[in-house]
Formats: sequence, structure tokens, C-alpha cells
Amino acid sequence: MLDLATAAPAIGAAFVASTVEVVEAFTIVLAVATVRGWRPALSGAAAALGVLAVVVAALGPLLSMVPLQALQVVIGVLLLLFGLGWLRKAVLRAAGLMALHDEDAIYQRESSRIGEDVRSAGAANGVAALASFQAVLLEGLEVVFIVLAVGAGHGLMIPASIGALAAFVAVMALGLLVRKPLANVPENTLKFGVGVMLSAFGVFWTSEGLGAPWPGDDWALLGLVGAFLVVALALVALVRPRASTVTP
Amino acid sequence: MNVVREVLEELWSMFVGDRRLTLLTLLVVAASAAVAFFAKATLLAAILVLVGAIAVLADAVFAAARKARG
Repeated sequence: MLDLATAAPAIGAAFVASTVEVVEAFTIVLAVATVRGWRPALSGAAAALGVLAVVVAALGPLLSMVPLQALQVVIGVLLLLFGLGWLRKAVLRAAGLMALHDEDAIYQRESSRIGEDVRSAGAANGVAALASFQAVLLEGLEVVFIVLAVGAGHGLMIPASIGALAAFVAVMALGLLVRKPLANVPENTLKFGVGVMLSAFGVFWTSEGLGAPWPGDDWALLGLVGAFLVVALALVALVRPRASTVTP
Repeated sequence: MNVVREVLEELWSMFVGDRRLTLLTLLVVAASAAVAFFAKATLLAAILVLVGAIAVLADAVFAAARKARG
């Protein structure tokens, strides 16, 4: 029986991380739908979801054959690489050293790119469906990895899947309601939080896989999240360019 | 083929986007594994993973900040 201390971080991490990815995919699907209509946009997205379902169906049984400790080390290391990389970018964005992700700009760029491709190739709906397929497949792969990474090492596949599914439903409902890019989603703040959580999960599972469990078991995750949060915020303050002082 | 290439590039960038960060992270895990298996100091190994990961993050952020400032 899962307790809240174990399930809540998995649901939260999967939800927030998946929200970021689904927003990115939705932006491009919406751009395709605006230029060429919903039919190619949704057919491309549906085909990508089908491919992702095959990937998950293939990976699931394979994962169950790997010994748990080895799985924890592999997933822990992958989480560390993914989480630290994400956190690095989020810190640099928060410090103003890297451009923020702009959904409006991506929407405009994708809309015009599809328009240009259509004129040159003359295969309007095919190009549009392919753009939609590609966006959903690429962002969906990240969601699949996040769910596997958060869930597979500790028997948390169901809470992690619930988190990802909730993100998908929430973004789709909101997106279809407003029918424009979800530019107001505080994406960098979400990425900052996700980077913190994935890094904490990575440290936790790598240690467990090495046979070095943390005192307090699952409750240690909260401490690890706090440690990464404090360090990341301190790094933002340390690397943020200071306003130049002007002497009269 | 373009889609396959982009998928592979996406997977590569997910884990090896910053080669220095990747290499240092693997070194931290290898050092922690050595401490856990040879010295049997499991708590020390766990702390080493945490401290090492934080050091790798700080190194990656400072390196990128230096690069951004030229």
C-alpha cells in the first residue's frame, strides 16, 4: 500500500514535468490546426500517441526483467543527467543569462514554417500532419521517460502515470478552451521545480541502487528536494548579472 | 528519416546535452559506488552522491554563466 509521502512526490513530479512537455506539444499542434485545420493536426498527434503507446508497451515488460537495484542505478543516473541539465538551464534562465521559452514565438514560427513548406512541397495536409506527429512524438518521449524514471525504480508507475495523465487532461482542456498558445503558463518556474524534483529523485534512487539508502527512507526525498531548491536559488543569485553602478 | 534523426537527437540532448555535466555526473556515481562497495560506507556514499551532484550543477551553471558573459 502506497503512502502519501511516497506517492505525492511521484504524482507531483510527473504532473509538473508533463505539463511543460504537453504545453510545448500543444503549441505546435495548435499552430498546425490554425494553418491547415484540425484534421491533419489531430491525425498527426494520434499517430504519435500510437507510436508512444507501442514504446511504453515494449518497455514495460523489459523493465520488469531487470533486477530492481540495477534498474534504480540506471534510472537514478539518467534522472540525474536529465534533472541536472534541466535545472542548469532553469537557473540560467532565472538569472537572465538564457532566453526564456516563448510559446507565442514558437507558435508564430511553426505557423509560418508550415505555410512555407506547403507552398514548396504542395503536400499541405501531409506536411501539417507530419509537423504535428513530430512535435507530439518528441515531447511525448520526454513524458514517457519522466513517467518511467519517476515510477519504475520504486513501484510508482501508477502514481507517475496519474500525474502525467492529469497534466495531459488539464493542458488539453485549458488549451481547447482558450484556443490559443498557453503563453501564460509559467514555464520556467515549472522547469525550475521539475529540475529540482528530478535531481532529488536521481540522488535518491542512485543511492538506493548502490545499496546506500537515505535515513528516513522516502521522507528523505523532501530533504533532498529542499537541498536542491536552496542550492539552485543560491546559484541564481550568484550568477545573476549585477546592475552596473554609475558614479556621478 | 528526418523524424528518426530528430528523435535520436532529442534523446541524445536529453542526457548528453552538456558533455562536461554528463562526464562529471558519471564520475560522481562511480566514486560513490566505489565507496559503497569497497569501503562499505553506505551513508557516506549516499552523501557523496548528493554533494557530488550539487557540485556538478554548480560547475555547469558557473561555466555556462562565464560563457554567456563572454
